[in-house]
Amino acid sequence: MSEPAPIVLVVDDEIQIRRFLRTGFELNGFVVHEAGTGAEAIRTATLRPIDLVIVDLGLPDMDGAEVVERIRSWSSVPIIVLSVRSTEAQKVHLLELGADDYVVKPFGMAELLARVRVALRRQMRAVSGEPTVKAGPLTIDLAARAVLLNDKRLTLTPKEYRLLQVLAQHAGNVVTHQHLLKEVWGSIHVHDTHYLRIFVRKLRQKIEPHPDTPKILVTELGVGYRLVQSGAEGDAGAWSDTNAPAKSET
Amino acid sequence: MDNATLLGPIRKQLPGIFFTLGLVAALTAILFIVVWESGLAHGSIVYLIPVVIAATRWGIVPALVAAVCGLLASAYFFYPPAYSFRVKEPQEVIDLVLFVFVAVAVSQLANRLKRQLEMARQREIDLRDLYAFSRRLAVAFDVSDIHAAIEDHLASIMQRNVVLFSGAREASDSSGRRAGTTVPQRVLAEVVEVAAGRHDTVGGTIVTTESGEIWLVRAVSPKSLEFGVIAINLGRESNERSDELRIRVDAVLADATATLERLGVAHAISEARMRSQTDQLREALIGSVSHELRTPLASILGAATVLSTAPALRQEKKLTALVHDVRDEAERLNNDIQNLLDATRISSDGIKPHVEWADPGDIINSAVDRCRHRLADRRVVIDVPPDLPLIHVDPVLIQQALVQIFDNAVKYSESGSQIKVAARTQDGRLNIDVADKGAGLTIPETAKIWDRFARGERHAATTSGSGLGLWIASAFIGANDGKVSATSEGPGLGTTVSIELPVSQAALPQFESGADE
Repeated sequence: MSEPAPIVLVVDDEIQIRRFLRTGFELNGFVVHEAGTGAEAIRTATLRPIDLVIVDLGLPDMDGAEVVERIRSWSSVPIIVLSVRSTEAQKVHLLELGADDYVVKPFGMAELLARVRVALRRQMRAVSGEPTVKAGPLTIDLAARAVLLNDKRLTLTPKEYRLLQVLAQHAGNVVTHQHLLKEVWGSIHVHDTHYLRIFVRKLRQKIEPHPDTPKILVTELGVGYRLVQSGAEGDAGAWSDTNAPAKSET
Repeated sequence: MDNATLLGPIRKQLPGIFFTLGLVAALTAILFIVVWESGLAHGSIVYLIPVVIAATRWGIVPALVAAVCGLLASAYFFYPPAYSFRVKEPQEVIDLVLFVFVAVAVSQLANRLKRQLEMARQREIDLRDLYAFSRRLAVAFDVSDIHAAIEDHLASIMQRNVVLFSGAREASDSSGRRAGTTVPQRVLAEVVEVAAGRHDTVGGTIVTTESGEIWLVRAVSPKSLEFGVIAINLGRESNERSDELRIRVDAVLADATATLERLGVAHAISEARMRSQTDQLREALIGSVSHELRTPLASILGAATVLSTAPALRQEKKLTALVHDVRDEAERLNNDIQNLLDATRISSDGIKPHVEWADPGDIINSAVDRCRHRLADRRVVIDVPPDLPLIHVDPVLIQQALVQIFDNAVKYSESGSQIKVAARTQDGRLNIDVADKGAGLTIPETAKIWDRFARGERHAATTSGSGLGLWIASAFIGANDGKVSATSEGPGLGTTVSIELPVSQAALPQFESGADE
C-alpha cells in the first residue's frame, strides 16, 4: 500500500475516546476526521472522501445503528461499530444493517487496527476485482473456483465450496449464521444452524492444518464465522499482543 | 336474624307448618288405634313429640302450631266426651294446660338449641375461611397475592361476584375481565374515581349498568385506600333487598378490614411495594454506576494500548512497564465490573438463553481464546475429540462460564503449572472438565465454592476477587439445563471443575436430502 494515507472518520461523543483513537491512528499513518454526533457524521461522510467509518453505538442525537443504516444507503465505505456492551443479537443486527465488523468496548488499539486493516483490504479487493483470497496456507481462487492448501488442490463438495466462497468474499470480516445459511442453503434454512456446524466441521477437516484448533475458519460465538486472513489478524481480539510492534502497512 | 325469622313472610314457614300438621295427623291416627286397642285413657303428653321435632327442624312457629293442634286433637279424640272439643274433668283440664305450658317451653328450648347449632356451624365456616385466608396471606409473595386472597375471601363470605382493584391504575388498565367475571365499563370508571379518592369511600356507590345489574363500588377500608377498591355484583335485586345486601357488605368489610389490620396486611402491602421499589432502584443504580465506570475505562484502556506501542516510549523500558500496569489493572477492573453487571442480570431478570445448535469444540476454543492473555504463563492442554455431538445451548453463556472457571483456575494455581481442558460424552451427557494443579479445596470449601460472594479464606489475603465468578458460572450453566461441580484431592492437590450438559441426539433435526448438493 504505497497509496495515500487512508482516511478514517471517528464518530463518538466521548472526547477522550476520540483523542486516543486519533493518536493511535495517526501513529499508524492514518488521517483522522472526527464527529461527535450522528448528524455531523453523516454530513462529514457526504462532504469528504472517507475510507472507513468507526461509529459508536451510543450517540447523543441518534442511535449508532441508524448512522450505519443511513451511510450504507448510499455508500459502500467500510463501517466498524464500537459498542459498550454488545449482546450477540445486537451484533447480528448491526451486521445485517451493513456494518462490516464490530469491536466491543473496552478494546485495545491493536485489535481495532487489525479490524480496520481487514476492512480496508477487503474494500480494496472489491474495487480492484482481485479474484484470489489467501488465508494462511489456504488460497481460494474465486475466478477459477479452485481451493489450494499449500499449493495442493483440494476436492470440496459443492456446498463446502459455496460456504468457503461466501466466507472468502467477506474475508477477514465476520459473516453471520443467517447470511451464510441463506447464501448456501436458501432462505428457508436460515435457522438451521446445525447445517452450518456440520459443514464447517467437514470443511475444517479439509482446510485446517489442525482442525481441532482452527486458525483459518474461526467461530464468532453466537454471531457467525470469519475467514482469518494471514498477517493482519493473527491474534487480535485481546490487547495482550500490543507488545509486538504494530505492523504498518502504509 | 331473630326478627327476620318471626316476622318474615309466612310463605317461608309454610313447608314447616305443613310437615307439622302431617306429623300431628299421623300421630293422632296411631294414637287412636293404640287407645282403641289397649284402652288407654289419654295420650296428650305424646303430642310433645311433634312439638320437639318441629321446634328443632323448622323453628318456633311450626312448634307452636304443633302444640295447638296437639291440644285440639287430644281434646277432640281422647278426652271424654269423645269427638267434641269440650273437656269434662277438671283434672284433665289441668293436664291439658300443663301440656300447653310444657310444649311452649320445650319448643322455645329446642328452637334456641337449633339457633345455637346454626350459629356454631356458621362460625366454624367463618373460622375456616378466615384460617384459609390468613394462611394465604402468610405465604403471599407480593401485593397481588395479598389482593387475590382478599378477593377470594370476600367472594366466599359474600357469595357474590367480587372483584378487587389495587388502585386506579389497575382499574384503568384493566380490560374488565378479571377472575372469570366481566366488570362493565361503567363500574370500572367508578372504581377509578373511588380509587383516586375523588368519590365518597365510606358508604360506597351504587352503579346500575345498561343490562340492569346493580354493582356496589366502595373502598375496602374507609380509612385507607391501601387495601384497594372493591366492586361487588349485587345482581338484579330490588331496592330493599340490595339495601339489605349493602348492610351485609358493610358488616363483612368492617370485619375483613379489622382482620386485615390485625394481620398487618396494610403494612405487608406497603412493605412489598417498597421492597420491589428498592430492588429496582438497586439494579438501576448498579446498572448506571457500572456504565458510568466503564465509559472512562474504555478511554483509559484504549489510551494505555496506544501508549504502549508509541514509538516515543519504545526505548523507555520503565515507562513501558508502567503503561502495561495501567493497561492490566484497567482490564482487571473491567472484568470486575462485568461480573457485577452479570450478577445483577442474573438476580434481576433471570437469564434468558439464546439456544442454538453449537459445536462444543468451538465453545471451548473460544473460551481459551478469550483467556489467552491470562492463560499465557500456564501450560494449557486441550483434549477435545473431533467427533463430539452438537449440543443445544446458548454457546455464549457456556463460554462465559468457562472463562470464569479458567479465571479461577489461574487465580489459585502457580505460574507455569498445567491447566487441562477435556471434553467427553457419557450416558447422553457432555462433560467438560477443567483441571488445575493449584491450591485445591478443603471439604468445607468444596461445599460453598458455588455460593455468591464465596471466597477461599486460605487465600483471601493473597488473591483478589469478588467471589462472584463461580456463582455466575453455575448460574449460566444452570440456565442451559446443565450442572457444575468441583472435586479436589485436597488442599494443594489441584481442583477439577466439571460441567455437565445434556446431549439430546434424538432432538437434532435431520438433514434434508440434498443438503449437500
